[in-house]
Parts: sequence; C-alpha cells; structure tokens
Amino acid sequence: MKKELNVNHLTRVEGHGAVDIVIENSRLSEIRLRFAEGPRFFEVITKDRLYTEIPKIVSRICGICYVSHRLAAVFAIEDAFRVKVNRGIELLRSLLTVGEFLESHSLHIYFLALPDYMGYPSTLAMVKDYPNVVKRGFKLKEVGNRIMKLIGGKTVHGENILVGGFASIPSREELEEVGRSLLKLIPEIESTLFFLDGLEYPEFESSHEMEMCLNSPSPSLFSSEVSLSDGTNFTKREYELFVREEVSPYSTAKVSKVKGKPFLIGPLARVNRLELHPKVLELTKRLKHSFPSKNSHLANLARAVELLDVAYRGVEFVEELLSLYPFEPTVEVNPREGTGFGVKEAPRGTLYHKYTFDSKGRCIGANIITPTAQLQSVIEDDLRALVETSLDSEDSEIKKRAEVLIRAYDP
Amino acid sequence: MVKIGVIGLTGCSGCQCEILNCQDALLKLLSKVEISLFPLAKDDNLEDELDLLFVEGSVSTSLDRDWLLRLRERTKVLVAVGSCACYGGVQAQRNDEVQIEEMVKEVYGSWKLPFEVFKPSPVSEFVKVDYFLPGCPLDKKQFVYTVSFLLNGVKPFFPKIPVCHECKLSENECLLLKGIPCQGPVTYAGCGAPCTSKGVGCQGCRGDCDFPNHEEIISILTKKGLSYEDALKFLKVFRGNTFRVRRVDEKGA
Ligand code: SF4
Ligand code: SF4
Ligand code: SF4
Repeated sequence: MKKELNVNHLTRVEGHGAVDIVIENSRLSEIRLRFAEGPRFFEVITKDRLYTEIPKIVSRICGICYVSHRLAAVFAIEDAFRVKVNRGIELLRSLLTVGEFLESHSLHIYFLALPDYMGYPSTLAMVKDYPNVVKRGFKLKEVGNRIMKLIGGKTVHGENILVGGFASIPSREELEEVGRSLLKLIPEIESTLFFLDGLEYPEFESSHEMEMCLNSPSPSLFSSEVSLSDGTNFTKREYELFVREEVSPYSTAKVSKVKGKPFLIGPLARVNRLELHPKVLELTKRLKHSFPSKNSHLANLARAVELLDVAYRGVEFVEELLSLYPFEPTVEVNPREGTGFGVKEAPRGTLYHKYTFDSKGRCIGANIITPTAQLQSVIEDDLRALVETSLDSEDSEIKKRAEVLIRAYDP
Repeated sequence: MVKIGVIGLTGCSGCQCEILNCQDALLKLLSKVEISLFPLAKDDNLEDELDLLFVEGSVSTSLDRDWLLRLRERTKVLVAVGSCACYGGVQAQRNDEVQIEEMVKEVYGSWKLPFEVFKPSPVSEFVKVDYFLPGCPLDKKQFVYTVSFLLNGVKPFFPKIPVCHECKLSENECLLLKGIPCQGPVTYAGCGAPCTSKGVGCQGCRGDCDFPNHEEIISILTKKGLSYEDALKFLKVFRGNTFRVRRVDEKGA
C-alpha cells in the first residue's frame, strides 16, 4: 500500500515551502522538501550594476535578515577593493546585527514557533488568553526595529548601510538611549528564555554529523573564517570549495553539502559551541535543557539564548562606541578590478557572497549562498528520521510534527 | 466581520514584516476584522470570500499567477503592497536586458525548474488592482491608513508628489546640490524621506511620482559624475517594468 502525505503550503515560515512524504507498505520511501519560491536571479540582476547598487539590491533577498545580506555584500565589496573600515564603523555594524538578531529571533520565537507549543493557529489568536506574552514579543521586536532604523535609516532594507561605512551615524544621545533600552530589555529576554525552557519539546535526535558556523565567539562579531564541528577551519575564500551546491529536481532552492554531507547551521549550531557571553553561559547552566544538543527543536531555545547574548554584547558595543565618539562615518572607497568574498552569520545561519568587478567597479559576476539552500538537505534528513519514528501515528499528526520541525529551522 | 488576507508572491517578505510591525494597530484591528488568510503569520488559512486582500511580491511563476487569479475572484478589494507587487520589484530591473531562459541558465545551470517561471511582473499585469501601495518595503503608516480608510468606506488616496517635498519638510540640505546622487525629484513620496534625512540620496524605492522628468534627472546625475548608462541603471533598480526612458540618441537630439 502506498500513500502520500502532502503539506502544500507551509505556514509560519518566511518562504514558500511544501513537503511530500511517501509511505509504502508502512515504510517511508521518500521525503521531498520543496521550496517553491519564485526565483529572483540575484546573480543576474547584480550584474552590470555599479558596486554602490549591490548592497541595496541584495538586501532584498530577505526582508527579515536583510542586514546580514547587506553586510555580507558590503564585506565582499570591501574585500575586493581592499577597503579597511575604522573600529567605529565596525562597532556600528555589530550593533546593527544586534538589532537584526533581536527582531528576527523574537519574530521567530513569538510569531512563528510559539503557537505550535501553545496550541494556537497564530500568535494573534493568542492575544485574548495571553496578552502579555504577545506584548513581550512585540516589545523585543520593537527594540530590534528601532536599532535597525536608527543605524540603517529604515526598519527594513536600511539604505544608510553603505560600502565603506554609513552616510551618517547616530548621535551620542541616540546611542546612549540604545544602551539603556537594551539594559531594560534583559529581564524580558531572561523571562523569554525561561519560558521557552519550560516548554515541552518533542524528543528527537538528529542524525546530522556536521555543524557549521563562522569561527567567531558571537554571531554579532564578524569573521573571515568558517568552522566545522569536525575541527576543520576554512577561510571565506575557500567557502565554495567546502560548501558545494547542487540544483534540486523539485526545489528552487539549491542543495548544499559540506564534505559530501548535510550540515546544520543557525542558532543551534552556534549555541552548541558554547562560546557565549560569560553572563549568558552562567545562566544556561540553570536551564532544564542543555547544550550542546542534537534535538533540532531546541533551535527555538537556542534563539532565546542568543537573544540574551546579543543584548549583553550590544550594551558593550554601545559603551565602546561612546568612548570612540565622534568617529568618521565613512572611509574612502576606490574601486579596482578583482573578486571579493564576504561571509556573515545571519539569524538563520551562514551566508556567503562573492562578487567580481571590473576596474570601474561594475559587477561582472556574483555568487550568493543562502541559509535556505544550506539547510534543505539536513532538514530532509531530519524529516526522514522523524517520520520513521512516527509511522504508526495518524496522518494529520505526522504532518503536524513535520511542520513543527521545519519551523524550528525556519528555512 | 470584515475578512482580510495578506499573502506573499515572489518577494522578500519585507512588506509582510512591515505589516507585522504595525503592532498596536494590528491589535486594535483584531477587534474589527477577521484575518482569514495570512500564511506567514498563521495556520488555518481560509481562501473563501475576502473583503480585502493585500498582495506582496511580483508574479514570477505559474504558482504565483494561479494563486493570484483564484484569490482575485473571491476578493472584493485588492491592494498591491510594495514595489514588487506594484512594479515588479528589484527582480524586474533587467527584464528588458536579459531573456528569462538566460537568467535561469545562469543561476541553475539548465532550463529546468519544477514549475513554469516567467519574467517578474507586477500584479496588475494579471488581475485588477484596486489600490497600489508601493515602497520597498511599503510604508507601514500607509498600510494602517489604507485599512482604516477602507473600513470607514473612504477611498485611500496618497498624492503622488515627489520625495523632495517631504525632504524639504524635514528641513534637509539638498544632497543633489552637494553632488550626492538622489532620485527624490522623480520619486513618489509617502515614506517621509528617511534616506535623505540620513544623508544618503533617495534610491527611488517607491517608484515614480506624477509627471517624473527622467531625462532631466539623468542629465543632472550625469553632471554629478555618473555615466549615462549608470544613471539609467540607478533609476531602473526599483522601477522595474514601469521604467521607460527614451534614450538621448533615440530622440535624435
Ligand atoms: S517590495 Fe521590497 S520589501 Fe516588499 S517584498 Fe518586494 S523586495 Fe521585499
Ligand atoms: S536631497 Fe534629494 S529629495 Fe531632498 S531636496 Fe535634494 S533632490 Fe530632493
Ligand atoms: S527616500 Fe527614496 S529610497 Fe528612501 S524610502 Fe523614500 S522613496 Fe525609498
């Protein structure tokens, strides 16, 4: 007997996805995770455009993690033109990332994942019964948005983020205000963390062998080196040699493997390294759930851990920024022929941007590898493991479990 | 109860995020309307009759098109949100330069995708659009105004004045006069000029204002140091399918 279970439109995830599960004679025979995103051809539309247009265009890859795409592009272009920015600009970019993680992780936790664990179809449906939980989600997001708007110019897609720095930088008072609001947020994030720790996560052990993230102690601190959980480190220039992409017959997202294997990226892969702010590390010891973990559902808890981590780091960034104030918002940029590489930890995992320019700074080639592409394979493996242990369950139950697992990744 | 839907076709979800960012307004709205369809934010999505549908993203695949056509039949008022839905978005900027087959080959290595893809197009090329709220992303204030106008039976109206107008209201020094490329004179205001207030030129993300003088802005931009071609491309980024400028040589001038 053969049956096929389909989730045709995954909800509460950023993109368009669908899953097909084929069960034959009570055995799982096939899993397909299909991303049905309309292709947007970023490698084509960046071509022939001046370098100044690139960060703006590629920030539109994703409205939730645009800061990461925009910065990865900026890093790549600065790499190609051998531009070195000052510490102030670097810190402001780090603070921008703090804003992005706050917004993206709290959106994920409160609006995409939480309804699964609270038994509601959406967060908005929770308002009647849990007004304060919803408001806390809004508040965390709001602080993230305010930081991105202040530094980037707009909440989404921030045109103030440029190659070589920023058109202008926030005032001293505005930065002090960011520091104060982050400090005020810390207890709210701690509540979020313990709240998420108190939820019941499905028992699950992922089979993935490899985890990958940038070799940096915190997502908000940039790096040019990538680190694999088997101990291998490689530079951003070597990225395409390690992360190999293939076209999928049923998905518009390409499929990536490292050393021929699916690999985990994102909050769980990062938190599993336990390179956290000392205060956060201390707190994680009091959690019911512990890291490192192989349970992919715990990516949600890992997000809360990271929220706390970025808030503490953000306060430190503000302090250092104030000590440097005022600093030059931009450094000089002189285009030259060549190729540049940029990597960045987005909230969902590593991103890779590569551009080649002619001597006028016009783009003649691009390659971008997104977290979605890198996650496709590991999610399919996880789904396989999940369905194999759920074969006796009702069809609707299997589908539900699959959706909850995919949402933990939010590909 | 009034039934509302929010969907995303081919885009970045940035506009839908901006809608979610209307936090207080959304909470208030929930007592007046039912959000029946919003796949980014909820399960149990219903596709029955809708009073008001917000569509983000361009139409780039057969899936986009079919979904849109199906929903249009059941929707009273359809609003295109964001520059993708209104103009095709950043993904449409090379529609007149490269064939779709070439785009697919360059990114996927072959012309074989699990469904039909075509050149990214604005929603209005497939269905009737009642109101347009451009911007990349759309401005969240305009979203809130539109909903409250429509709930009160008033037609939403946003005059297509140029960004310069709002830039002057913010008392910014003109960047163009300082030599910084700015599209404010030809761009549809409504954003409050956040970019020029930071000192970065308007990038034209909201598309054209009424009677935009493209030739003139191109000639100003070229005087500020951009080549003719680069000035053209700078203007094209967000204007997608709607951007038509007669080349200087075509005019025979
Ligand atoms: S208009 Fe801009 S923000 Fe909106 S979906 Fe398109 S790319 Fe994203
Ligand atoms: S800076 Fe731009 S938008 Fe502002 S007045 Fe000058 S041209 Fe207009
Ligand atoms: S100033 Fe220009 S680029 Fe900035 S938001 Fe307004 S229309 Fe868009």
